[in-house]
Amino acid sequence: MIAGIDLGTTNSLIGVYESGFPTLLADPDGNRLTPSVVHYAADGTILIGREACRMEALHPGSTVSSVKRSMGRRFGDEGTEGIEGPKGKPVTLRINGQDLTPEKVSSEILKRLKTIAEERVGTPVTRAVITVPAYFNDAQRAATKRAGELAGFTVERILAEPTAAALAYGLEKLKDRSTVAVYDLGGGTFDLSILRLDEGVFEVLSTHGDTQLGGDDLDEAIAGLIAGKAALGDLPPESRIRLREAAREAKELLSTEESLTVRLPFLEGSEGSTSLEIPLDRKEVEAVCEPIIRRTRSHCRRSLEDAGVKADDLDQVILVGGSTRMPLVQRVVSEVFGKEPDLSQHPDEAVAVGAVLQGAILEGTLRNVALLDVTPLSLGIETFGGLMNVIIPRNTTIPTKAGEMFTNAVAGQSGMTITVLQGEREMASDNWKLGSFEIPFPPSAKGAARVGVQFSLDADGILQVLARDTAAGTEKIVEIKSAVEVSDEAVEAMLAGSLEHAFEDMDARIFTEARLKAEEMLPAVESALGQLAGELPEGEISAIRTGAAEVTAAMQAGETARLNKALETLDQATQTLATKLLEKAMR
Amino acid sequence: MSCPFELLGLTRRPLLSEEELGSAYRKMAGNLHPDQEGGDEGRFKELGEAAAILRDSARRLRFLSGVRPGSIPPPEAADLFPRVASLTHEADDLLARHATASNPLAKAVLAAPLRKLSADLDLLLMTIGQWQARLNERLGILDAGWPDHDPEVVSDLADSLSYATRWESQLRERKLALECL
Repeated sequence: MIAGIDLGTTNSLIGVYESGFPTLLADPDGNRLTPSVVHYAADGTILIGREACRMEALHPGSTVSSVKRSMGRRFGDEGTEGIEGPKGKPVTLRINGQDLTPEKVSSEILKRLKTIAEERVGTPVTRAVITVPAYFNDAQRAATKRAGELAGFTVERILAEPTAAALAYGLEKLKDRSTVAVYDLGGGTFDLSILRLDEGVFEVLSTHGDTQLGGDDLDEAIAGLIAGKAALGDLPPESRIRLREAAREAKELLSTEESLTVRLPFLEGSEGSTSLEIPLDRKEVEAVCEPIIRRTRSHCRRSLEDAGVKADDLDQVILVGGSTRMPLVQRVVSEVFGKEPDLSQHPDEAVAVGAVLQGAILEGTLRNVALLDVTPLSLGIETFGGLMNVIIPRNTTIPTKAGEMFTNAVAGQSGMTITVLQGEREMASDNWKLGSFEIPFPPSAKGAARVGVQFSLDADGILQVLARDTAAGTEKIVEIKSAVEVSDEAVEAMLAGSLEHAFEDMDARIFTEARLKAEEMLPAVESALGQLAGELPEGEISAIRTGAAEVTAAMQAGETARLNKALETLDQATQTLATKLLEKAMR
Repeated sequence: MSCPFELLGLTRRPLLSEEELGSAYRKMAGNLHPDQEGGDEGRFKELGEAAAILRDSARRLRFLSGVRPGSIPPPEAADLFPRVASLTHEADDLLARHATASNPLAKAVLAAPLRKLSADLDLLLMTIGQWQARLNERLGILDAGWPDHDPEVVSDLADSLSYATRWESQLRERKLALECL
């Protein structure tokens, strides 16, 4: 038996395929959703799920939530804000004096799910399909696979969440031919995949997404709104967690209600404890959430573009993920695609159901259904001049292999460093570095050495690189297990570099920042005044001129505080000018 | 490797519709996928490579007539290249400046040049679209007379199609980035 698992940012689920149907399994209290929260008690006990949630506000330092955001990440990456550690090193979380990897924490959640399944099924459950956001890179997928293994599973497949949801949607329509989009906005991640359904074959045409965009960000924004309305200053961690919980609750309630009152009795603040009662309505919550939801728009457009599909060609836009319950999200989706979204799938459960179905396909119990998934990000190597040379383009169906032949650029060269990259940017340094290794060869004339590099992506989307010196016949197979494990020396070098910078004069740095801003601002003011001089009142123009002169003077005097203040004044003085300029450009 | 047309059960011809290729690919891929009983990872990957060659009209043509990419770009491509290169550079530069602009006025100053850029991109995309239409017409003529062909004509057509496709996607990418600001 192969279990299907949705390991979510906020909640996780497990299910199995029973007598021809996917069934999601509930814990003894009857809950199918297990909150993805782990609490480490001082005595060594580990609490998971609802019990851990209860401990979070009391012991924020020893309770981990949203751990999915730091899977496969290094300190300093996006998604690791608020976690302290040496930049560039694999993320670990310091809990009760111990450093825990995100995969270790995730494995606790998976162990709980395993127990839930075993209690229900009555036999050991050791094989699993685990879902990940489609836009997860190699390192994040590998980390998820390791988490499964740490929990005692043989991980049979790492499956993209929107693909899983499409499977759940399409199972009853196996005779159909259609093109669908899956809009998956979960607790921490967003994906948009476009699929072609053709008589039981589910072919992913394209996928785009953001692994740092989800319901958590909406909660943060709403918490900020509440804090602003209540004029709360800096809060201790316990209170921040209570505030965030209240924000999440308000967000969920406001999906159906128009307004409510947020009550937070005895909230510890910087100036003692206060009891909050803040009225909140849907409009103002939507106003702070809208810019975040809008960020999904570009991913939708790019996915359509890559699939070569027009919004009009889509038969359905399927919504999944808890955050799609918000009416605002549904509005944005219908605006982007020009049609009402399909709400037939359970937002929290469709992905897990799809994972169960994929398990049944692998076991051979579900026949005549095939999933053709893709790799979301291009894979390549760094070439001469620091450019990225794509070997497997994004949206290539997996499993796949591709290769290229490289020769030495310099005479007498006796080896080649192969740096493996993942991402869409032209410059190698802008992409995610998966690892690098050395292929030695005997010193040879320019162009005489020939190294064949072959990339092979398995059905989990995990990469293996084979490099072969074709002259000598030596070869080297490198499994890029995890980005974070490979290059320790490089990390050390980065660390050394950043330490040197840390000793630079802080004030000099702050002044430089202000100076850069001034150097951007002054020509902008000149250009704007040149275009609009006739359309502004005399008084305003002279205020701007005075402001600009003061910025110049402060810059020449080298006075940091004065420069910052002058910049602020100039910023204010040019507000109307900026608006006028925008209006003129739109005319 | 074996013939991509044969692998997908398609006739060896220059013209191939997306629909025809996609449907043949899905049918075979559904059976060969390693998850399926009787599936075969090696053959699945081969099928993927074959489909990638056929999906790209330049690679398809080069395979059919055995020509290699030319070392000198066709005249129309050579004429267009400076325009494509300067516009993509200009676009990258403006987009980068917009991304780093830290205050409303600096962004507002960029509004007019960005609008002009958008119009320039549209114009160049239209020019390339017209070029592509002419190339597709030539592809149709080639297909009608197939298998008779002049390898030099095929080589020129394949190179032109390759430039046109790449430039179109580079320009569209910038256009999309502009629209998503």
